[in-house]
Amino acid sequence: MGVILEVNNITKKYSGLTAVNDMSFEIHRGEFVGLIGPNGAGKTTLFNLISGMVKPSSGTIRFDGRDITGMKMNKIVNLGIARTFQLVRSFKFMNLLDNVGVSCLSPRGKRLAKEYGIDEYASTILAATGLVDKARLPPIILPHGDLRKLQIAKALGTNPQMLLLDEPFSGLSHEEQKGITDLINKMHDDGVTVFMTGHVLRELMHLVPRVIAMVQGKYVIEGPPEEVANNKIILEAYLGRGATFA
Amino acid sequence: MSDALVSFIIYGFAQGSIYSLLAMGFSLVYGVGGILNQAHGAFYVIATYIFYTSYLYLAQFGLAIGIILALIITPLVGGLIYFALIKPLKESHVGIVIVTFAFAFFVEQFVKIAVDSIYHNMPLLIPGTFDFFGLSVDNHYLLIIGIAVLLVVLVTLFINKSKLGKSIRAVAQDSEAASLMGINVDRILAYTLVISAFLASVAAILYVPEDFVRPAVGWTVLLDSFAIVILGGLGSLPGSVLGAFLISYARSFTNYFIDPTFSALIPIVVIVVVLIVRPRGIFGKKEID
Amino acid sequence: MLDKFGEKFAGVPAYLRDWIKTFRGKITIICLILLSALPFANPGPYIMGIFYTFMIYTIFAASWDFLAGFVGQVSFGHAIFLGVSGYVVAYTLRYIAFIPIWWGWDNGILVPVIGIPINWVTALLLGAIIAVLFGMIVGVPALRLKGPYLALGTLAMSLILYQLFLMGQLGIWWEGTFGTELFGTDGLGQVPPISTNPLIQYFMIFLIMCVSILILTHLVKSNLGTVLKSIRDDETGATASGINTTKYKILAFMISGFFAGIAGGLYALRFSGVNPALFQPLYSFYAIIIAAVGGIASISGAALGAFIFVFLGEILRLLGDIPGLEGFGGFVEPIFIFSIFLILIIRFAEHGIMKPALERLQDMWDLVLGR
Repeated sequence: MGVILEVNNITKKYSGLTAVNDMSFEIHRGEFVGLIGPNGAGKTTLFNLISGMVKPSSGTIRFDGRDITGMKMNKIVNLGIARTFQLVRSFKFMNLLDNVGVSCLSPRGKRLAKEYGIDEYASTILAATGLVDKARLPPIILPHGDLRKLQIAKALGTNPQMLLLDEPFSGLSHEEQKGITDLINKMHDDGVTVFMTGHVLRELMHLVPRVIAMVQGKYVIEGPPEEVANNKIILEAYLGRGATFA
Repeated sequence: MSDALVSFIIYGFAQGSIYSLLAMGFSLVYGVGGILNQAHGAFYVIATYIFYTSYLYLAQFGLAIGIILALIITPLVGGLIYFALIKPLKESHVGIVIVTFAFAFFVEQFVKIAVDSIYHNMPLLIPGTFDFFGLSVDNHYLLIIGIAVLLVVLVTLFINKSKLGKSIRAVAQDSEAASLMGINVDRILAYTLVISAFLASVAAILYVPEDFVRPAVGWTVLLDSFAIVILGGLGSLPGSVLGAFLISYARSFTNYFIDPTFSALIPIVVIVVVLIVRPRGIFGKKEID
Repeated sequence: MLDKFGEKFAGVPAYLRDWIKTFRGKITIICLILLSALPFANPGPYIMGIFYTFMIYTIFAASWDFLAGFVGQVSFGHAIFLGVSGYVVAYTLRYIAFIPIWWGWDNGILVPVIGIPINWVTALLLGAIIAVLFGMIVGVPALRLKGPYLALGTLAMSLILYQLFLMGQLGIWWEGTFGTELFGTDGLGQVPPISTNPLIQYFMIFLIMCVSILILTHLVKSNLGTVLKSIRDDETGATASGINTTKYKILAFMISGFFAGIAGGLYALRFSGVNPALFQPLYSFYAIIIAAVGGIASISGAALGAFIFVFLGEILRLLGDIPGLEGFGGFVEPIFIFSIFLILIIRFAEHGIMKPALERLQDMWDLVLGR
């Protein structure tokens, strides 16, 4: 299948700190790829760059054949990249239906949602993420696992071609993790390209067929999880010298 | 040298030094606590009226009693505002802006009711005049410039060298880290308000004899302070002093060489232009939200 | 096609029926009936005048609340719209007979051929449209400014206009260009009222108030409202959901400006003129306190707040005039009392000030009863 995301020599410098250093990689349409790296490796910054939240210092990003380097975040979303955030965010003073409804009201989301009716379409998404019985409630009462699901539901509202999931398992119980995993698998089966970061390595490694690894802003290696996990640089970054990944 | 030029130089400098005191206080409160204190002008008003009413009713003790009372009470009000109004609203920056704004209205009205709305004059602190390049200038202006400059230097030294100053700077950089190091962040924030109010009261006492006692002056003070600090960069003390002299000389220039009526527009235009073009000002470091 | 229209319309009565059943709906209907009945009770020009002012402030505060409570853009300079529209309405009604919209040739000279005649309705709309333009102008810098900076930036803008109109001229350099006269401290007077018949005048303003509130409420409950609220709740999140927040923020400023402009125009008509005082921060402050009392994030709350504000203000003013109360009389100065109110409301309101007044009253009642 074709290449959907092309990252070329992307660099992001903050005064004195290079958060992402000359990274290049490709992701193909329909793939399920993981992004790993120890804390502070620059994973979220990379996602911020791809989603348009932050402008790169140099390098280019191409999505679906178009150059999206430096494009505004909402424009990128409307081209088909949706993301979730590491720190859950929601529209606090609106109910879940409206939370998802906002995404459905984006130009891209509206094109699809209009056919069914915005509220109906949003309900369907909530149903798919298992949140429909809480549709009229505000996010403030949701447990953490449901908030993570809400994030994904909101992303789905924009009818994305590609999903960037930033630490979707963080802070979740085993049960909750399973719920999210099923959801993500379902989306992937539906044809959405999924690019996901994870800190809970074990979960991630069983989930994705390919992993890209970065350390201190730099690309290290990519490949099937077992290969990457046994790479010396990665092991040292995570566990210190002389360790092995069991 | 022409009279206009000489006036421009000396009066511009005097106003700049007063502005410096006001702007430093305002900038300090913002830099340390992230608070845009709308009641800053109210401090000036409070000090002015304490000074004035003491002069009216306690004249037998001289002006000194008014000065002392103003310098003590106003900073106390500053601290009070922190604990009563600002601290409880910590999470809502807009709430703080509204509540301090309302307090400023309150003070203006209170003073109108308790005293009156009429413009009054107060006697100069030192009589006599001196000759400045052919212009006869009140000696009082020497007092203004002297004390204001002295205070600017003292405050700068205090912030940079003293222990309390170090704590203040720590809170300004990172309040969470500072509190983890054992600094009582609340107390520090209250101190900055106290200092800010103190500086405003000194400015009031120095300037009022050459200006007027009037209730609406608080708004002008607030506006000018805001303009200076936005220009110089919020949170930057050197920026405040630079901004103070830039704006006071801009106003002075407009007064003597263009048209006095336009001078009131200058601070406002500065605010709008800076916020649109370069919101962090000349020396500002903090991101505007 | 009539079928479709009938369908849409059929939905409305159902929604309306449900609403009337609620407590809020019932109270609102009763108030509307009372308001309509008022002029027939022959209350006299003084009381009628107070009600006009109440209705004008309702629209003004609702426009501010739309922007602040639903889009999260807190402006301290809403008086800009009052003043701009007020001056446009005053000027148009006094000096312009009609607005030309099409020109033709007559004996070799270009003359206007079709024009819109100026009466209070067209003048009011013109004022509101110019206010919308100002909404755009104010909205653009607002994109860069958040929170307190937006508040103070808008305040500064209103002060610029205040100074300009106070000075009376747009500048010595522009002498000779048309329209530099800004009328100075006296402002523009002798503006004809809506009608010499107090009944007609009252009902026109009443109608305008109801329509404005209805439109704003509808906007807020519509899909547009949902998008605007998302900008208020989490602007970055809204952008991440694909929303062009820039476009919507400017739109919100324009809508808010329109209705604030209507209020300003009505003000000019009600008080037969305008002066620079209309640009003062005081008026912007009025919008804030009315909305705060009535409930931020509640369009109809603006009516409640305006009612309390205007009537309490009048009562306080009368109290202050009572002979023998001099000395103390000063302390019931309305602005003084209201500034205290505002401090207390903001200071003690839970959840910032998002809850409408009725709920807060309920909360306070519970607190008092120790529940």
